[in-house]
Amino acid sequence: MNKPIIKEIADGVRLCSLKTSQFKTGKITITMALPLDENVSANAVVPHILHRSCRDYPDYSALNGKLAELYGAVLMANVSKHGEAQLLSISLTSIDDRFSLTDESIAKECAQLLTKLIFEPKLTNECFEEADVEREKRLLIEKMESEMDNKNVYAQQRCEQVMCENEAFGIPKYGTKEKISALTPSDIYDAWQRTLKTAVILITVISSGETDGIEQSFAMGFSGIKRSPVKPKTVFIKSANAPRRVSEEQSVKQGKLVLGFRAGMENADDKKYDLYVATDIFGGGTYSKLFSNVREKMSLCYYCQATLQRQKGVIFVRSGIETENEKKATDEILRQLELIKQGNVSEDEFNASILAVCDRINGYNDSPETISAWYFSQILEDEIQTPEYYFEKYKSVTLDGVINAAKGITLDTVFMLSSKPGSGEGQE
Amino acid sequence: MNIKEIKNEKLGESYFHIEHPTGLDIFVMPKVGYSSTFAVFATKYGSIDTKILQSNGRFAEIPEGTAHFLEHKLFESEDLDAFERFAKTGANANAYTSFDRTAYLFSCTSNFSENLEILLDFVQSPYFTPATVEKEQGIIGQEIRMYKDNAGWEVMFNLLMALYRIHPVRIDIAGTVESIAQITADTLYNCYKNFYNLKNMALAVVGNTTVEEVMKIADKVLKPTEGEKAVRDFVIESPEPIKSYTEERLQVNVPQFLLGFKEDIGTPERSLKEKLSAQILLDIVGGKASPLYKRMMDSGLINTTFSHEYFDGFGYSAAFFGGESKEPEKAAQAIKEEIVRLNSVGIAQSDFEKSRRELYGRMIMMYNDIDDIANHIIETNFSGNGLFDEIEVCKSLTVDDVNTRLKELLKEKYSALSVIKPIQEV
Repeated sequence: MNKPIIKEIADGVRLCSLKTSQFKTGKITITMALPLDENVSANAVVPHILHRSCRDYPDYSALNGKLAELYGAVLMANVSKHGEAQLLSISLTSIDDRFSLTDESIAKECAQLLTKLIFEPKLTNECFEEADVEREKRLLIEKMESEMDNKNVYAQQRCEQVMCENEAFGIPKYGTKEKISALTPSDIYDAWQRTLKTAVILITVISSGETDGIEQSFAMGFSGIKRSPVKPKTVFIKSANAPRRVSEEQSVKQGKLVLGFRAGMENADDKKYDLYVATDIFGGGTYSKLFSNVREKMSLCYYCQATLQRQKGVIFVRSGIETENEKKATDEILRQLELIKQGNVSEDEFNASILAVCDRINGYNDSPETISAWYFSQILEDEIQTPEYYFEKYKSVTLDGVINAAKGITLDTVFMLSSKPGSGEGQE
Repeated sequence: MNIKEIKNEKLGESYFHIEHPTGLDIFVMPKVGYSSTFAVFATKYGSIDTKILQSNGRFAEIPEGTAHFLEHKLFESEDLDAFERFAKTGANANAYTSFDRTAYLFSCTSNFSENLEILLDFVQSPYFTPATVEKEQGIIGQEIRMYKDNAGWEVMFNLLMALYRIHPVRIDIAGTVESIAQITADTLYNCYKNFYNLKNMALAVVGNTTVEEVMKIADKVLKPTEGEKAVRDFVIESPEPIKSYTEERLQVNVPQFLLGFKEDIGTPERSLKEKLSAQILLDIVGGKASPLYKRMMDSGLINTTFSHEYFDGFGYSAAFFGGESKEPEKAAQAIKEEIVRLNSVGIAQSDFEKSRRELYGRMIMMYNDIDDIANHIIETNFSGNGLFDEIEVCKSLTVDDVNTRLKELLKEKYSALSVIKPIQEV
């Protein structure tokens, strides 16, 4: 795989382009990072309202009709949490010109369309229209509610809220229902302007063609904006105080257990390779301690996984269990972590993890989605690195490094979503 | 050995079909530029296969969820289980069971030959004991319970239970806690023998590989199996659903609905032309560019989760529309009215072209992903088609084909509505 070319096309706006003919598609993603603060709800509306219409295609039927004509080009908006930053993104994927059944240039049209969506939204009197804003507020609230209907996601978010109640990280990525409901068209207009002016921005382009056109379109869009980018900062808490346990009851069939840990990191780069491998040995693949013990040996669950969020220096372990098994599962999860800290990791376990981690990284270049995610997740890094760079770093991780890193992991919060007595039964 | 290369010029892709002496169909698609290789070894045995044809010509019942249970258990062996073997190579291995197949797979960027050998070997080496079967009942029990809280899953199976009277597509893929309790090591051996015959299976390998590399391992590891292709029981059931409305309450914020139209079929499988024209039809009725979508979105009846699916397999075929809605009955009514309207005015050429272009574009996009391609090779092979056939059929479709599908597929009298509502707190 070629190395990407990275250019600063405006103050705090980088374009990361990777030319490859490996794929049938071209993919452009613009990602905008803002601080996770009281504006999250207004910000969250921005990518959604922008990707629903624009001045030239003033409603979603017109826009979706255009996308269908462009051979089903896929337009997506997304909001995510990245440490204590909120990432807003819009992406457009389309098939390469060589597959067109007529002579049009799909790539060129798509690049123009995406810049129109971002810089030329449908406005009336310098503001978004009331009806459009109301629709987006409804859709965002329903999206939030729907995500919370996934009990796994819900339990994870509640654990984050409890664990980080005095940190920005405790703020949910869309904010709250009340905040969204109260938004006005001018709030959204301000959020759009604030995003264009202050967000740290990374545009990734994975394409077989030349990217000069895309670069020019975006450079032109940003040339009319007075930029003063603000880089979001994340507060790291190195270790936890005495652990807390919080539980809630719902009428669910299966309980959800989430354990939140502080990873012992002082910043997003601190011991990152060692900790990534430590987390993987703990609860990554099928060779991990949690899979082998909590699932395979004890038959307590279908899944029990650990993930490191290095942007905040936290680790979460999640599992779906019978409510009455909470203590059994928690004890075993903590016991397995203790074993790693004591150096009780076999060479086989360590090698399995390194092999799997390296294999995963090697595969990132094989899909436009994983490549662009790889690069835009480095939006706040000064130096953008390739998967090959990380591959080498992981290959040189040692077992001692892993054990030492694991020693810094401390349990902060246990969140349990229990099934209400009676609701754990099967259907009538 | 018969090796055939199949090419598609426009797509710039080609793959090899090898009829292995053991009876196994092997497909290899080398992909330039890729670091990864994805392999899937599958049998035409899914949750709908709840009967085994016996030597006396009669079908014997097997417990619901056995295919999925067997999938879990095949990873185990007398010494090192498959996951432990893959842990030594770094591959990412997994498996899935659907309505009509069970598939074992891995992806890797190194040690490909070793991984393929493990895959072919463990799937050919069943090892079940009463103790390991019992252990799995706990794990799968939790998997079943996890889905019971998933509104999207429940809304679909409730609909299938309302639409289908006898066809086993109406049962949960994993079965129930009660049905899997009946599974024994003998049940598994019996099903294994019947369905894991190489003539009933296929292997697809896509990515950083060559035919030679795959064949070297296949020749070494594949063991001839006895018996013939498993026979599926096709029971014609009447197109009328059991009931036209079904509802369940779950702890959710947003109600969900799924409106299904059961197709009146006289043969078990649909042709590519029928499948693709149905997909285009559903997009014209309720796709994102349709007037119906805009009307329902503007009136707050649906949100962005609204989608449609043509759902078909051996002995079943239906069209689904659904998503989240604060007013499921009204949304379902709006869809039915749009179908009535389209039936009276017919489908316009321009709408047909737009939807067909979209379908064509999405088919091309699939060729980015080696896992999608490999799974699709298996799927098309099991239904008797070649991988590239659908692109050619898509190009040849006409608006008349879609108008024909409109008349035969979307009949209100054969429809049912499934709704998940939030629990009312007392």
